[in-house]
Amino acid sequence: MNVDRFLGWAALLLALPVVAASWGYGVGSPKSPGAGFWPLVIALTMAGLSLALILRPTANAPTEGGKSRWGKFAISLGTFVFYVAALAQLGYLLATVVMLLVQLRWVESRSWRSSAAIAVLAAVISLIVFRVLLKVSLPEGVIPLPRGW
Amino acid sequence: MTPGNLLAVFLGAFIGTVIGVLPGLGPTATLALLLPITIGMDMVTALIMMSGIYYGAMYGGSTTSILVNIPGEAASVVTCIDGYQMARQGRAGPALGMSAFGSFIGGTVSVVAVMLISPFLAETALKFGAPEMFALLFFAFTCIGGLTGTSRVQGLLMACFGLLLGSIGTDDIQGVDRFVFGILYLQDGIGLVPLAMGIFGLGEILYNIEKRQEQGSILETPRRLLPTFKDWIRAALPIARGSFLGFGVGIIPGGMPAVASLMSYALEKRVSKRPEVFGHGAIEGVAGPETANNAATAGGFVPLLTLGIPTNSVLALMLAAMMLHGVTPGPLLLVKWPDVFWGVIASMYIGNVMLLVLNLPMIGLFVQILKVPYGILSPLIIMFVLLGAYALKNSVADLVTTILFGLMGYLMKRFGIEPAPLILAFVLGPMLENSLSKALIMSRTGNPLFFFTRPISAALLSLAILVLLFPLLRWAWRSATGRGNRRRHAAAQRNG
Repeated sequence: MNVDRFLGWAALLLALPVVAASWGYGVGSPKSPGAGFWPLVIALTMAGLSLALILRPTANAPTEGGKSRWGKFAISLGTFVFYVAALAQLGYLLATVVMLLVQLRWVESRSWRSSAAIAVLAAVISLIVFRVLLKVSLPEGVIPLPRGW
Repeated sequence: MTPGNLLAVFLGAFIGTVIGVLPGLGPTATLALLLPITIGMDMVTALIMMSGIYYGAMYGGSTTSILVNIPGEAASVVTCIDGYQMARQGRAGPALGMSAFGSFIGGTVSVVAVMLISPFLAETALKFGAPEMFALLFFAFTCIGGLTGTSRVQGLLMACFGLLLGSIGTDDIQGVDRFVFGILYLQDGIGLVPLAMGIFGLGEILYNIEKRQEQGSILETPRRLLPTFKDWIRAALPIARGSFLGFGVGIIPGGMPAVASLMSYALEKRVSKRPEVFGHGAIEGVAGPETANNAATAGGFVPLLTLGIPTNSVLALMLAAMMLHGVTPGPLLLVKWPDVFWGVIASMYIGNVMLLVLNLPMIGLFVQILKVPYGILSPLIIMFVLLGAYALKNSVADLVTTILFGLMGYLMKRFGIEPAPLILAFVLGPMLENSLSKALIMSRTGNPLFFFTRPISAALLSLAILVLLFPLLRWAWRSATGRGNRRRHAAAQRNG
């Protein structure tokens, strides 16, 4: 599938509801533009450019070789979802250690020992630098932190 | 320059060089990561450090290009061509040395030009009203489409998408919630930092996870770093040309250092007396592009500081940083915040000196950094991206935004879609809308021809129209000359 054509169709399908929504916000008049005026201009321009891409696409850029590692990709995404869900409950330290451990062990295929060591060290150092030194508020969670941290 | 600011220059230059050396994390993602931290810093110090990171990355990117044939960042792609070949011939030292000296000279020439041009430009910009501002921003917008190497239309479409993303939230003039869908988080609009960190940081990481390439073998630390006298003779004119070419490209909206280095390489190959050497270790192929990319880096500060217009995604983040600190770059920056203006200018020159001093003796350290496996760096970068996203406003919603844009950045990289137009348009969009609305109200009739009744806006809009029509005009010219050539050829054949 040609990338330009795909992009063109996707943009056209996006532009149409944006046009509709813009009318809803009130377009106003050229001498007194409403809230919907600007998104309407953008959407109409997008629609025009989409048609140009659909009708006259350029050739796909050559893709890089190499096997796709979908399993590792999926695991990585999974760690992001875990991090979002667990950060507030588990706290920064534990959530980060778990996220890093999974990334290092299963995505980067490092040994258990080095994965655990790097995960704990990185999480603790970043906690000290950001929470203690830079006073960035990070969730404490289930692991009690030393006073002053 | 206070001791604190000098330290900020050094730190910025060092961090930038390390970032430039390490493939996978460019200056845009780094600045996006550091934005939350700079909020707590003094404004001038924060900007000085960010500037240091920007041109440090330009210096650092050439190190991996020469030693490993992997560009540390986009502007150093061209340096791989001849730089790596020089390294294979045992001349890595002169290549690295010439790259550092050329970058220093290009950066210095550019800084002097910035000092001379900026006050004049700022004074001219004081005459700008809303129509002139809209025309200038529109011209910048049309140039954005040229940021992508493959398709101008694709670039403009991504820019339109950036404009659309920028319109999400409560409208500034009417106070109407647009595309919010009842989500409180979206009322303030999408933040630039989560967007930039997602697209440039996480997107790149996800792409590398999916398509991990083996790193090239690293050559040993070169011992002799100084170019020979013959190298200097050959490189002198490329450096001179690169300085002015780079500055000229840098001040144009859409003129990225990568574009400047490519143009310089093409120019040097064309004018060289020995073009056959290019691609096989020509020192001119390192000196010119490296000078041009550094000159473009400094040149980009001219429109940013005097007009408030960022010419690439890195400068868009610097604009965001200034606005977070309550500084509005533009014609009044010199008047209201001269310490910011001259502090940034001074840091550029001092940073150039520090980078020259840093880069050559510390090559050994950077080679060691290169040897850190990417498998360790990648999860750490993910940690910093997610931490930075959360630390902005202690908001999980920012985390989600970063991850979603990370997915988008991955898809863009996978399918060869350039993200820079999207980011630039996202930043320029609110300014464009604001100036357009004000200009239309000023016109009293809403007639678009109003813009052509004012000389500056007429000139800028005409330029913008020319830029948009350029591909069409070029096609028409080629068709006409092609037809003319065919007619002459047919006539010559008939005449025997």
